[in-house]
Amino acid sequence: MTTQNTTSDLPEKAPSAWQRFKDTHVWHSFVKDRVAQLSFTIFMGYVLMALFAPAIAPFDPYDPTQIDIMNSELPPSWNEDEGDPQFWLGTDAQGRDLWSTILYGTRISLTIGICAVLLQATIGIIIGLIAGYRGGRVDSILMRFADVQLSFSTMMVAIVVLAVFQASFGTELYQELAMIMLVLVIGIAEWPQYARTIRASVLAEKKKEYVDAARVMGLGQVRIMFRHILPNTLSPILVISTVQVANAIISEASLSFLGLGMPVSQPSLGSLISSGFEYIFSGAWWITVIPGVVLVVLVLVMNLLGDWLRDVLNPKLYKG
Amino acid sequence: MALLEVKSLEVSFGLRSGAVKALRNISFTLERGERLGLVGESGAGKSVLGFSILNLISKPGRISGGEIWFDGKNLADLSAKELRDVRGNRISMIFQDPMMTLNPVLTIGQQMIECLKAHRKISNDAARTIAIQKLKQVYIPSPETRIDQYPHELSGGMRQRIVIAIGLLMDPDIIIADEPTTALDVTIQAEIMELMVELCDRNNVALILITHDLGVVSQVTQKAIVMYAGRIIEQGPTKEIINDAQHPYTQGLMNALPQMAIPGQRLNQIRGAMPPLQNIPTGCAFNPRCDYVMDECTKQLPGYTVSGNCQVACHMVANLKKAEQTSDEV
Repeated sequence: MTTQNTTSDLPEKAPSAWQRFKDTHVWHSFVKDRVAQLSFTIFMGYVLMALFAPAIAPFDPYDPTQIDIMNSELPPSWNEDEGDPQFWLGTDAQGRDLWSTILYGTRISLTIGICAVLLQATIGIIIGLIAGYRGGRVDSILMRFADVQLSFSTMMVAIVVLAVFQASFGTELYQELAMIMLVLVIGIAEWPQYARTIRASVLAEKKKEYVDAARVMGLGQVRIMFRHILPNTLSPILVISTVQVANAIISEASLSFLGLGMPVSQPSLGSLISSGFEYIFSGAWWITVIPGVVLVVLVLVMNLLGDWLRDVLNPKLYKG
Repeated sequence: MALLEVKSLEVSFGLRSGAVKALRNISFTLERGERLGLVGESGAGKSVLGFSILNLISKPGRISGGEIWFDGKNLADLSAKELRDVRGNRISMIFQDPMMTLNPVLTIGQQMIECLKAHRKISNDAARTIAIQKLKQVYIPSPETRIDQYPHELSGGMRQRIVIAIGLLMDPDIIIADEPTTALDVTIQAEIMELMVELCDRNNVALILITHDLGVVSQVTQKAIVMYAGRIIEQGPTKEIINDAQHPYTQGLMNALPQMAIPGQRLNQIRGAMPPLQNIPTGCAFNPRCDYVMDECTKQLPGYTVSGNCQVACHMVANLKKAEQTSDEV
């Protein structure tokens, strides 16, 4: 039978992915929700800024030859008396263009946030799936493990690990590996969030008949867990991911602020805020405040998006 | 030798208050291509029996005794890996609600190909061809389009056809159908039943049909088993059981059919409800509800009496048979 024989109640051709998406509940609620649209636009703005930082930024903050110490602590250019039109957001204490530094800093912050969440998600999903599906003793052991991990606050674990690393391997090696270390520390410290969420949805999903049906078909446990149950738990994963990225960015910023994050030569938003903090009383407010606003808006926007996603994907509010 | 032989199967559930026997002393045989009906009210143990044939009872249940012989192997003793070879491959199962049985986030094709690949070394394309062919067998219109759709895009009857197609995917020897039509409306029910009978006949597949519906049993099956409180109380050829039920419970079920009631009168019903499994009365489990209850019934568990081609677990029937024999001898 060819597609020509399809009856009129069938679509002529399978609709394209974009058309399908336009019919979904997610799209409809997005069109109606102003806050979501605004947040999404701003977030995409950040992503573009981060992706194309080298193209947008007028200066390369990592290139010492482009930095002139004589330009240090220039205020934003709208301040006509002292500002230099070259540096529209002013410069920091080392004479780096603040706008370029913020662009590069956003890039670093977002990368660390997303990579840390990917790590969290991988560990958390595997442990949560196994705990939820196997149940019994395996579940108890894994979840107690998660409880122990949760009882150490992320900051405490991060501070101890990073400080010990810095002390034992020296600051130079640390500066080289700072990004990887931050991803590892934040990623490992927060996996229980994922594990708990996944476990809860797996417990609900595994009672459903399609899991019985899969077992009756003779499918193996791993296949059932990853192929059948995991796709059904994706919406909570998506929701906590947005919030967790925001959290990871905040953690990174706090650690950088404490001097345990990104080095000054390669500043993230957090280390930028921190480096400006010393000068805030000498009147150079912009070094701290502007990256601060950028960070706050980024985190706020991600949380708003997360809230919206949670409402849209909440099966209690909407059953799809 | 019979295709499937269940010998004094016992299943118990370990509860906090102690082990509860959900199945006691279940024995029956199933021949190749034979259709067997499993009847009884809710909680009689029909579905547990279906699952235990695949050795798939969920915790805290387990097979606590007896044997399930299939193809020279005792399914009660097999390792998990050997069991996976049997499940879906040689014996498949169809559930009540097709919406729940199909995974909502995978397309029909993905689910079918998944199943094929779990049992055979086969390429995606070859698996897809088999899947489309099976969809054609269950009369899905334009299977090439349907195979890429999600379960929610199909109607209830269509979904149940797909579930049946998945059941047939590996050309099994036995299909266990657990109330396959309960979630469907009446016209579709008849269609689906017809389809199942046709497919079983054509492929020489044995069918175990678990149902409440005596009408379906009488139309579809050759052999019937009536269960009550985890025990078989009557088994034999469907015709004999339907036309000449021996056990008072089976008689009660027959009388409860709407066709048996006098127009304008209330429907007949069996008074009372089935006892909870933790608390089965001594003697015959049916004794508190039986109209013919005797002293013996409350004291001693009735054994099986052969009556015609049927086996019946009832003291009254046993006594009648004895009386018949003695009168014959005299």
